[in-house]
Amino acid sequence: MTDMSKPKLQPVVPSGVRSTFVLVTAKLGIMRRATCIPVTRPKRREQLTGFLTIAPALILILGLTLYPVAYSIWLSLLEKHSFFPQQRFVGLENYFYLWKDPEFWSSLWLGTVYSIWTIFFQVILGVAAALILNETFVGRGLVRGIVLFPYMIPTIVAVILWKWLLNDTYGVVNYWLVALGIVWEPICWLGADHIMLSTIIMSIWQFFPFVLLSILARLQTIPPELYEAAKVDGASAFRRFVHVTLPQIRGILFVVILLRSIWMFTKFDTVWLMGEGAGAGRFIRTLPVYAYMRTLTYYQAGLGAALAVIMFGILVVCTVIYFGLFREEADIG
Amino acid sequence: MNRRRLQRLSTRGLLYVGAVFLALQAAFPFLWMVSTSFKPPVEVFAQPPSFIPHGPTWDNFWRLFTATGFLTYFRNSIIVSGLAVLLTMVVSAAGAYSLTRYQYLGREKIAGLILCTYMFAPIMVVIPFFILVKKVGIENTHFALVLAFTSFCLPFTLWLMRAFFKTIPLQLEEAALVDGAGRVRALIYVVLPLALPGIIATSIFTFILAWNDYIFTRILITSDELKTLPVGVQDLFHSALIDWGLIMAAGMMITIPALLFFIAVQRYLIRGWGAGAVKG
Repeated sequence: MTDMSKPKLQPVVPSGVRSTFVLVTAKLGIMRRATCIPVTRPKRREQLTGFLTIAPALILILGLTLYPVAYSIWLSLLEKHSFFPQQRFVGLENYFYLWKDPEFWSSLWLGTVYSIWTIFFQVILGVAAALILNETFVGRGLVRGIVLFPYMIPTIVAVILWKWLLNDTYGVVNYWLVALGIVWEPICWLGADHIMLSTIIMSIWQFFPFVLLSILARLQTIPPELYEAAKVDGASAFRRFVHVTLPQIRGILFVVILLRSIWMFTKFDTVWLMGEGAGAGRFIRTLPVYAYMRTLTYYQAGLGAALAVIMFGILVVCTVIYFGLFREEADIG
Repeated sequence: MNRRRLQRLSTRGLLYVGAVFLALQAAFPFLWMVSTSFKPPVEVFAQPPSFIPHGPTWDNFWRLFTATGFLTYFRNSIIVSGLAVLLTMVVSAAGAYSLTRYQYLGREKIAGLILCTYMFAPIMVVIPFFILVKKVGIENTHFALVLAFTSFCLPFTLWLMRAFFKTIPLQLEEAALVDGAGRVRALIYVVLPLALPGIIATSIFTFILAWNDYIFTRILITSDELKTLPVGVQDLFHSALIDWGLIMAAGMMITIPALLFFIAVQRYLIRGWGAGAVKG
């Protein structure tokens, strides 16, 4: 029996297990007892139990995620008030309306600006921070823990924190900037001119730990021999990064950038809460915020759904292009 | 030789500067929140702002508990997140067991489908979800919220649990079967104890997601007595004069449970198997 728990003998696929199992038991001379166990289990019953145990999860995912997303395509063809049951089929009218709607184009533009800047800096900072936290130094465990805080807290907390830090009259950021002589007068961080910048900075702060975490996990699995070999060859730190680290993290980087792009492009709560009550909200009215407002401020559920469908379409197209551009990385990732 | 030592020292120095910066940028906003939440109103708006309150007071917390609906929101958050964790875990543990222990047609397709829905952002789901919920007539109930959280969390919990079940050697189960145990007994006595750390960690991730959610609650819940913390706290903002001390106290009270749970799962996160576990 002790033989069986050796890691070498642990294949992942059940069918493989059976043959290994038979092999091991044959070795141990208890073949007769073993053959009648998994091999003769009725196949059909196995299938049925398998289906039944996955069924609740499948039903919930189909019913509560896929069906709503499919329903929003239908909804986007209707003219429908968000709160009343009346609805009217209008075909593609909602899409034609949006095509001529300047606010749609502006939200698409603002959303793109917001996502590109936040993704770019998240990745740069995330990789840099992961490299630092992969080194050994005193207090590494503590710093690794603290750095992840911003990603774990509710968005509402992140937003109130930053709104307080950036408050134009009483905020500590403005106080320091003036005290240190960097600016002459307090900056209106949440005003029309700077709100996009503030939201971008705040989002990078909140979400770069995700990149850090994923990259750090991968860095820990790179065999140290690779670095030692590079060192022996006299490679500088920069060259070691380019020729050893980068090829190793390419796969996970591909996945992380994909996920972050999807989530930043569809980011609602951070942007909405930053803009709410600041008076300059329309300068950060990105596509998800606009979709929300059409549905719950103007009660035009059809238009809201059309915006969600467009968002989904853009994501699908970009994902396909992305996979095409980085075919090699996609295979590793 | 000397130059080389100098270079090494300066690299170490840079490393520590980087590490200190990383810790500070993450911690400072929180420390500032704690500081503000203990300041009396006069001090909150004082210039220059001081880091340590001169006259620390519990006043902000007292007002939070007595003058606002905070305790109701807190209770709602606990109820909704707790139920969401329960439902999600039961469903995903069964699903993950199925995906790793049974062979049937389309198993890998189902796994792929689940991974696909992991990428759906809440904003794409929540608008049609809201309309459908109204049609069924369960809008403004905790039930709808629990369902929403479950559907939102399921893809990633299933994925995590599947990865976790994969690491439990099948031989152990087979051995139990050899010894005459039924499938159910093998599950209870062999698989579940081994899967427990994974189940706990996944539950905590789910709890944090549900606890932190804003968008589903904002859209699905309209009556004040059913609101959860993030939405309830946002509504504190709507008064004409923003009471920063009170809001910071509220922020601290929401953060503490999330942080406690985070500390509990932190080692899983850093060890790497939970990388990318939390969505958002």
